[in-house]
Amino acid sequence: MSNNFVSKGKPITPGERKISRIVLLFEDLIKVPIFGCQRCGECILSSTGFVCSQRCPKRLRNGPCGGTAEGGYCEVYPERKCVWYKIHKRSRLLGRMSLLYKLNNIHNWNLEGTSAWLNVFMKRIAAPAWFVRNDKKKVKEILSNDAQRKN
Amino acid sequence: MTLKEKIESGKFIVCGEIGPPKSCDGDVIKEKSKYFKGTADAVNITDNQTAVVRLSSIASAKILLDEGIEPIIQMTCRDRNRLAIQSDLLGAAALGIHNVLCLTGDYQKFGDQPEAKGVFDLDSIQLVAAVAKMNSGFLLSDEEMKKKPDFLIGAAANPFAEPLDMRIIRLFKKVRAGAHFIQTQPVFDMNIFNKWMEKAVELGLHEKCAIFAGVMPVKSVKALYHMKKEVPGVKINEEYISRMENASDPKEEGVKIAVEMIQTFRRIKGVRGVHIMPMMWESIMPVIVKEAGLTAG
Repeated sequence: MSNNFVSKGKPITPGERKISRIVLLFEDLIKVPIFGCQRCGECILSSTGFVCSQRCPKRLRNGPCGGTAEGGYCEVYPERKCVWYKIHKRSRLLGRMSLLYKLNNIHNWNLEGTSAWLNVFMKRIAAPAWFVRNDKKKVKEILSNDAQRKN
Repeated sequence: MTLKEKIESGKFIVCGEIGPPKSCDGDVIKEKSKYFKGTADAVNITDNQTAVVRLSSIASAKILLDEGIEPIIQMTCRDRNRLAIQSDLLGAAALGIHNVLCLTGDYQKFGDQPEAKGVFDLDSIQLVAAVAKMNSGFLLSDEEMKKKPDFLIGAAANPFAEPLDMRIIRLFKKVRAGAHFIQTQPVFDMNIFNKWMEKAVELGLHEKCAIFAGVMPVKSVKALYHMKKEVPGVKINEEYISRMENASDPKEEGVKIAVEMIQTFRRIKGVRGVHIMPMMWESIMPVIVKEAGLTAG
């Protein structure tokens, strides 16, 4: 596997932070009410069935912990559904299962509280995957030749 | 032979587990280690399990090492950020500890100090990848190390928690991130375990990593009730409960069930060993190993 699973990048300049705050005003308007965005600045919504993974108490980016209770409830807040339970359900519904096989990077905490849109524009983080075609075929491909696949 | 060599040789592996004490009394570990000498190929040392403060897993592992037992340190992401994780791993390697089980860790709410801040800088899959990267000679900063560690990387799997589909995806990701062996949560329901295992074999994951099935001998039916009610992500077969309920000697029945399970695991394709977790009942380890006809050491 590739060794680049830590999000890195140039340091954010004070000027960029200012712009980021302005862009964030608009980003928040959409992402907070609809997705419950936690402003991690390193958005992976598109690969998690458009359910924000950062609402997980452990902020897991790579799937559910081992404590999901019967019926898909969170072990920490038993009145809530496990975020990853929802992600799985939604991904299956939308035909985006192949994206769940991706190893998501270790979070870059410098990006916390910055605008993910600007971070995509500045190429600090990967662009979202809007459309997924032939999801089932893609899953099969991932499973059959994972040895040759790059991460 | 080290655990790594034993896995490569194809031997059916027996792992044990010791929970360090809630004090600085290292003799407790020495005492418990007696039961694992010659009965287990390697012994897991828990890392503040269920978020309760205990003697450090690396220090305990060193004590085990001095007793002539091969330790597997558990490393959770709850208590350390990436700096501490790498530093602790380098320290462990310097002490001669070469097996690490990468875990996310139980949430701090379940422990003795629920007010604590959970770190979760990495998750278990990223931790597996991080250790694999260290094995290749680099720190997460991409700086090359003068001497590279040689860890045998382990990870956990829980075949019993919802959503079951995701469990296989996570297993797949852990193997792809570089896990050499997988220890499952204790099995109390063979049907679900079998289904999970069939899927793992179908994807060929059993060839890329050694899967060890979890066995937890229980002393009484109360322990099962407790787990069913209090521990999320555990599924217990009704037959198991009724057998324990109706047993005239529950301890003996507990051992019998554990032995039967081990014998079943030996016949299941892809299972390369067992991970026996005699929580608070370490003395039963030699009995189970003997009755199940396992060899170790």
